[in-house]
Amino acid sequence: MTATVPARRRPGLARAGRQLHAGPFAYAVLALFTAGSLFPLVWTAVAASRDDTRLARTPPPLWFGGNLPANLARAWGEAGMGLALANTVLVAGTIALGTVLFCTVAGFAFAKLRFRFRGALLLLTVGTMMVPPQLSVVPLFMVIARLGWTDHLQAVVLPTLVSAFGVFFMRQFLVEALPGELVEAARMDGASSWRLVWHVVFPVARPAMAVLGMLSFVQAWNDFFWPVVALTQENPTVQVALTGLGRGYVPDQAVIMAGALLGTLPLLLAFTFFGKQIVGGIMRGAVKG
Amino acid sequence: MTATTTVAEGAPRREQGGGHHGGRPAPDPWRSRLCRWDLRYSPYAFVAPFFLFFTVFGLFPLLYTGWASLHRIELTSPGRTEWVGLHNYARLLGNEFFWNALRNTATIGVLSTVPQLLMALGLAHLLHYRLRAATFWRVALLTPYATSVAAATLVFVLLYGRDYGMVNWALRGVGIGPVDWQSGTWSSQIAVSSIVIWRWTGYNALIYLAAMRAVPDDLYEAAALDGASRARQFRHVTLPALRPTVLFTVVVSTIGATQLFGEPLLFGGAGGQKGGASRQFQTLGLYLYEQGWFNFHLGRACAVAWSMFLILLLIAAVNALLARRLRQDR
Amino acid sequence: MTPGYRARPRRRAVFLAVAAVLVLGAALLGGCARGDGGRGRTTVTIGTFGVFGYQQAGLYREYERLHPDVAVKESVIERNDAYYPQLLTHLAAGSGLLDIQAVEVGDIHELATAQGGLFEDLSAAKGVHRRDWLPWKWEQATTRDGRTIGLGTDIGPIAMCYRKDLFRRAGLPTAREAVGRLWAGDWRKYLTTGLAYKKRAPAGTVFTDSAAGIYNASVHGYAERYYDRRSRPIWSNSPAVRASWELAVRAARDGLTARLKQFEKPWDQAYANGRFATVACPPWMLGYIKEKSGPAGKDKWDVAPAPRPANWGGSFITVPKAARHKAAAVDLAVWLTAPAQQARLFERQASIPSTPASYAMPEVRDAHNPYFGGAPTGAIFAAAARAVPTLVYGPKEQQIGGAFTDVGIPQVEQQGKPPGAGWRAAQQEIENAVDE
Repeated sequence: MTATVPARRRPGLARAGRQLHAGPFAYAVLALFTAGSLFPLVWTAVAASRDDTRLARTPPPLWFGGNLPANLARAWGEAGMGLALANTVLVAGTIALGTVLFCTVAGFAFAKLRFRFRGALLLLTVGTMMVPPQLSVVPLFMVIARLGWTDHLQAVVLPTLVSAFGVFFMRQFLVEALPGELVEAARMDGASSWRLVWHVVFPVARPAMAVLGMLSFVQAWNDFFWPVVALTQENPTVQVALTGLGRGYVPDQAVIMAGALLGTLPLLLAFTFFGKQIVGGIMRGAVKG
Repeated sequence: MTATTTVAEGAPRREQGGGHHGGRPAPDPWRSRLCRWDLRYSPYAFVAPFFLFFTVFGLFPLLYTGWASLHRIELTSPGRTEWVGLHNYARLLGNEFFWNALRNTATIGVLSTVPQLLMALGLAHLLHYRLRAATFWRVALLTPYATSVAAATLVFVLLYGRDYGMVNWALRGVGIGPVDWQSGTWSSQIAVSSIVIWRWTGYNALIYLAAMRAVPDDLYEAAALDGASRARQFRHVTLPALRPTVLFTVVVSTIGATQLFGEPLLFGGAGGQKGGASRQFQTLGLYLYEQGWFNFHLGRACAVAWSMFLILLLIAAVNALLARRLRQDR
Repeated sequence: MTPGYRARPRRRAVFLAVAAVLVLGAALLGGCARGDGGRGRTTVTIGTFGVFGYQQAGLYREYERLHPDVAVKESVIERNDAYYPQLLTHLAAGSGLLDIQAVEVGDIHELATAQGGLFEDLSAAKGVHRRDWLPWKWEQATTRDGRTIGLGTDIGPIAMCYRKDLFRRAGLPTAREAVGRLWAGDWRKYLTTGLAYKKRAPAGTVFTDSAAGIYNASVHGYAERYYDRRSRPIWSNSPAVRASWELAVRAARDGLTARLKQFEKPWDQAYANGRFATVACPPWMLGYIKEKSGPAGKDKWDVAPAPRPANWGGSFITVPKAARHKAAAVDLAVWLTAPAQQARLFERQASIPSTPASYAMPEVRDAHNPYFGGAPTGAIFAAAARAVPTLVYGPKEQQIGGAFTDVGIPQVEQQGKPPGAGWRAAQQEIENAVDE
């Protein structure tokens, strides 16, 4: 990129391009926003490291106390976190994979193939994004109950295994990113639609698939409303387990914060270790409109 | 039948080069029929899994809700349903609480979406500079997104406590009297919005950043050669290039704002479905929840849900119209 | 060669992804065949909101010892306002129900009238004696056709918890008999005491926590509150509501309250900071006060009789007809609510039994609470329980109560609106909730 910059560019000329180094002002603003982003999370840990009475005092605690291990242990035990975490990994993983596969092929069909009712079906898909999720709970629960799935993990997995947003997202990405010539060339080579998906669509869609997978995973991990109805404490996901937390004799704020921390920690760790890949994925896969 | 079909069937076959895929047999009728079927039906197969799940878990609930919204159904005696036509809708239109919730949804929506997207745009602009530890800044700004609504709201409720919260403690330090974040109309709406803003700003900033990086450098160069200042470049090069992305984020944020639910619910604590003693932060999502799950009027809750759905469709239509007008202007 | 036709390694990645979906799916289906407690035992499941204390009091363990073929598993949702809607959803779907389901007193009438048929009639169960229970407790869970769908667990007779240290500094008596005499028989005398406290209040403290708390404690002392005995709505003009509303609003306007919402975080925190001097307390609140006030509050709190006897809260346990192990569930429910077990629960959890026979048992009779200055809590609450009138319940009891405590009163107390506006808001709220 840099190589293509014409040499005759006047030095010091304002250029909003990426090559410009950030000044101290930019760093200051970024630092401010970063602090704002991290503070509530750090403070969750601070609160989780104190005891309930200390959290009631002013000024509020600003630094860590010594109760973190004890509170984490209590939260782990009370909420049955082990099973909950395993369940959540299974649920969120399945949903992420399913969403990515199904939404990619559907998005491809909507983006590049012609078929009858395409417009109508796409409209229907986008329309579903607008259905408030609180609405479907009763009929959805009837379906689940009819299938005998209450308190089973598939009650949480299957209803969210595909998402209208995912289809829309993949379609938007593929419309731009997948050149029509590529599809036609493959066709002229006599490739079947399935080979086309395999060899052309998936490779091109990979960044967007990664983003969609990450988004679905995070969303499934944090989903709360439907799992609380469909599951019980016997077989919970993390968010369901957290609703039973602090039920000890009296809700203990520090333990509740420790539970919140436990439920968030796996995702935070993933963001810390794979931050570069996740951010890179979003950058490459972001919908360009 | 369709353009793709024409291409595949009508175009002369290319000579095979190195026989990399194995020699292709001369066009035989069976194969070409297979091929035609493939072309005609594969698209349906591609969208089938989505629509299968969608029909069972999305469309059926939607239609059932529509049907239920025309009935009187109480969760306390779900066996008894009674046809009431449009009564539930008529009742909504005459209900002060519904309009209040609609108003709150709009104001909280604006309070949370506008600053969020503007800040995201600004942050994206900063992130677009050449930065030391670029990845660190990006990841750090994205972390709130990994926090669940429940966990985030839990913390913010503690921070926004009237008597012992950190925000009021800090405000007192600069001589501002304690704010009753939950009881005031504006204060509560600002507090709820701040949770939304906190969770989503970084994510949107990265989306904008991605779009900015896709803007071809020569556009900037041309502008720079024309002597455009940095601010002018931002206005005349960056923003127009970002327009589709901005539109996308606006659509997604609007949908999210219309359905806003978890944050105000948990912010309100016990009885959170009312959104405060005067319903000062009750959104449509909460109103629906209150009608269905606290007052047990399922039919009416379904009518609220369908109203929300229709409102969103209306917004989408207006949006599409505006987008078309914009395109024509260009 | 067409571009895009390279991707061997990617092909493997996609294959792996597909395989992973299939494996996960299979694991999921495989994981669904959950056993029934294992080792041939019947697992009886019990769902409660908040802590009932059966587990903590060791009652499940003992029952399992008595019945080696039974295992008990408890599932707790912290708050009733999340628990009850879920129960209704499960009832509507006829699925997802546990073998025993707890029900709060404010909801039991609704279930008994509208969905009584979905529950087992427990009045005929083996070992159930109607006369064991307080008559009004038994009535509340009985349908019009005489089926009893829930067995009473605890009740909530009200006393007054107060801070001796703050009373002393405000120049008020501190002995529990003398304190009880300050307001005996009349809630208005309680407010008069409050004004006296306010004149000499220790810095940073107020007389009581919340106007809604006063409202609850007062209104639950009247037999007819929101419905009369013939189930006619009287929430806009009953003496119970009028008098309790007046009290609450006066307390708020006179600045006697800390403007707190009960059971919210700031309320918890106010205990730790010793912010208020009195709070109307059903027995189940004592543990809460102790926990939240912390070691610093020891020997500072005490318990005196409330101005008038009242009952606030309490629960039932029911067995839905759709339960998987009905017979075992009925058996367990009967055992858990028998006088002996209720007495033991009081010892551990301070839940006052709904079975008067328990009051004579040493666990209740001789109970003293060391944290509350050794107050004879068993005697105080048992006496209060006997004096409670038979409360008349009706449909949407929770919503109507909530209209006053969560809407009308906070509007006056916390948002500073005129009482007339608060009253109208509460009434409008009720109309919206009950209108079908």
